Amino acid sequence: MEYWKDQHEPITAFLKLFEKAKQDPELSEGLKKVNQLIWFDYTEDGPDCSFHVDCRNGNVLSSQGKPSEEPDLTMSLSADDAHRSWSNKLNPVMAITRRKIRVKGSATGLLKLAPKLKKVAIIYEQALNDLNFSDKILK
Amino acid sequence: MFGNTGKIIWADLSAGTAEHRTLPEQYYRNFIGGAGLAAKIFWEYGSFEAQPLAPESLLILMNGPFAGLKLSGCSRSAIAGRSPLTGHWGDSSCGGHFAPELRYSGFDGIVLQGKLEEPGIILIEDDEISVLPVREWWGMGVIETTALIGKKYGKKARSLVIGQAGENLVNYACIMNECHHAFGRAGYGAVMGSKNLKAIIVKSSAQRYFPADSDSLDSLRRELDAKITESVTSQVLHENGTAANLEGGVHIGDVPIKNFTSSFWEEMAEELTGSTLTEKYLTNKAACSFCKIACKRVVEIPEGPFSIPKGPGPEYETIAAFGSMLGSKDLAATCKAGRLCNDLGLDTITAGSTIAWAMEAFEKSALTVLETDGVELNWADMDTVIDVVLPQIAFRSSKLGELLSQGSLRAADMIGRGSSEWLTTAKGLEAPMHDPRGGGHGLALTYSISHRGACHTANPMLFMEMGACYYPEIGFEYELNPMSSEYKAESALLAVQIGAIENSSCFCQFADREIAIPEWVRLFNFAAGYDWTVEDMMSAGLRVFYLQRLLNYRFGIRASDDLVSKRLLDPSTDGAPEGVEIDFDCMKKRFYQLAKLDGTLGIPDRRTLENINLSSEANVVWQ
Repeated sequence: MEYWKDQHEPITAFLKLFEKAKQDPELSEGLKKVNQLIWFDYTEDGPDCSFHVDCRNGNVLSSQGKPSEEPDLTMSLSADDAHRSWSNKLNPVMAITRRKIRVKGSATGLLKLAPKLKKVAIIYEQALNDLNFSDKILK
Repeated sequence: MFGNTGKIIWADLSAGTAEHRTLPEQYYRNFIGGAGLAAKIFWEYGSFEAQPLAPESLLILMNGPFAGLKLSGCSRSAIAGRSPLTGHWGDSSCGGHFAPELRYSGFDGIVLQGKLEEPGIILIEDDEISVLPVREWWGMGVIETTALIGKKYGKKARSLVIGQAGENLVNYACIMNECHHAFGRAGYGAVMGSKNLKAIIVKSSAQRYFPADSDSLDSLRRELDAKITESVTSQVLHENGTAANLEGGVHIGDVPIKNFTSSFWEEMAEELTGSTLTEKYLTNKAACSFCKIACKRVVEIPEGPFSIPKGPGPEYETIAAFGSMLGSKDLAATCKAGRLCNDLGLDTITAGSTIAWAMEAFEKSALTVLETDGVELNWADMDTVIDVVLPQIAFRSSKLGELLSQGSLRAADMIGRGSSEWLTTAKGLEAPMHDPRGGGHGLALTYSISHRGACHTANPMLFMEMGACYYPEIGFEYELNPMSSEYKAESALLAVQIGAIENSSCFCQFADREIAIPEWVRLFNFAAGYDWTVEDMMSAGLRVFYLQRLLNYRFGIRASDDLVSKRLLDPSTDGAPEGVEIDFDCMKKRFYQLAKLDGTLGIPDRRTLENINLSSEANVVWQ
């Protein structure tokens, strides 16, 4: 991995991102509209390198690992590409076309989040700062 | 011959006859089928002097080699000829159910010339062809006519029908299949109308398709169908239709607002996007023959000012053309306007764009109530658009209807007063609902060089800039930045070749995004037996692109015509592309160098044409 020293670091950063996103009214509403159980699968970088977000029923709950229920959507990619993606430095369409991101399930809900990626990147930067991961911020 | 049948119907409508003709096999290998083969037929048999609506004008409908194959995305065909809207060469693509039925009847295409003495139809029942009078159908809308056809010829009969717009020779009349699928662009409904031809009906008794390598094709077909169906794009299209990403498009500045005067309108984005259509009005999903994507919408609006019965719903282009372009965020109104255009037989892109231009002209007092018979054209006034303007256009029943029936370019010429500043065209064709300033600067280039005018389906540049194309086998590995001119000329050169392959094989551009270059080659070889390499296939694409330019050259188009309206290049004043300039001249100059086009004439030199097997064509243009 180019940006992370172990498989736990990225998950810590991404969970922090979602924790902060939930506090942002616009992103929180956007996530609720997705209305899916999503598994972000980075296990190619380690067996514990994944987390899930449950946006169903008006909630936004995020937690480490694979969900116990079958996810509506699974996005599999490397933790480095996930870092680029949350930093808005990876074109998701291009990444899917080039198989850097593999998608299983309906990605329709995520389209609703696409317009918010710039804002996500700003909050992600704040999350990295909060965790003293400032050196990982992509310029 | 494999895949193709080698046979076409040649109908001389003045004589009231229709005969079978065969085409040389080399035509298919050189020009593929569809739009490419239509171009070759016109080159050999068409008149460059005949006006588009004159009886001697040719209207050519061609299938590609895959029509009839049970594979998602390949039930399309192309129609081509001299466009009444632009005055030069053009073509239009349509999905639905006509293409496979024509192939099963034993034909690759239909060439129409002449004019029927009285309104009539062509009826194709396997290899039996009749030309029949239908005086009583003239004046009917597409919906009523299609229903009559179903009643008279059975539900399995497939048809191409024109509405009142085609009968009245509106320059952007379209041709409809089953009320839901359109040969929308460039006005071929008017050409059919000029020939007094209300409909073409086809019925086959068996599904006949004879490929070169049946076993290999079947295996590849299954593989590709699974790949197409499972792709993210297909799933999104299936769920929310072609407007699925309208909201995202608004945020990048791709969706035009109020005649391209604005690049951002957040409130409208959610109101008009595909998921809203699904939630509010969708009753069913529909598909072209054999397509598992099923991106077509069936909608119903039971009540309200824009209520409509259950029926075909709008595509993205229609939603934007009758929504954001007119300053409206009323989704129900776009559904009703789309239904009305389908029934009258009007291209929704040109209709919406021409009305948007007129609304801007009215706002700026270049168009007044004196020219509109008292009709006020105000942004978002969808009642007036639906109840007054569209019918008047289709029937050319008023000063306003007559003016707008010409399309925006000619209408601007007619009223003057600086109104050409507000055009959104290239070579006389109104731009689709993708704004180059936000959607991608390469679109400005490909709109300008497209043979039919501003067009997003002539080639996959839109998808390339979006990041949805990856063709390492032919050198397309660019990670394009939509808001830059970098690598756009290089990409455009590949795009025009792939676009020619798509439109000549008549493959859906949504479905074929999943097909890799080596798979394309195998598909051609297993279906049509072309025995191609990658280089052969790409050469065929380039050959078609060049031939289309040669046709336009003979219609008087030169390099100086490869332009887009100033409005599409002027920096946006809001949204994501605010203030960004498009380096159009640089992209065009580089493209001309790469494509070996003469900087004045706009066509390749003699040697380039000879090297790509266009020697006889070179002899005509380089005498």
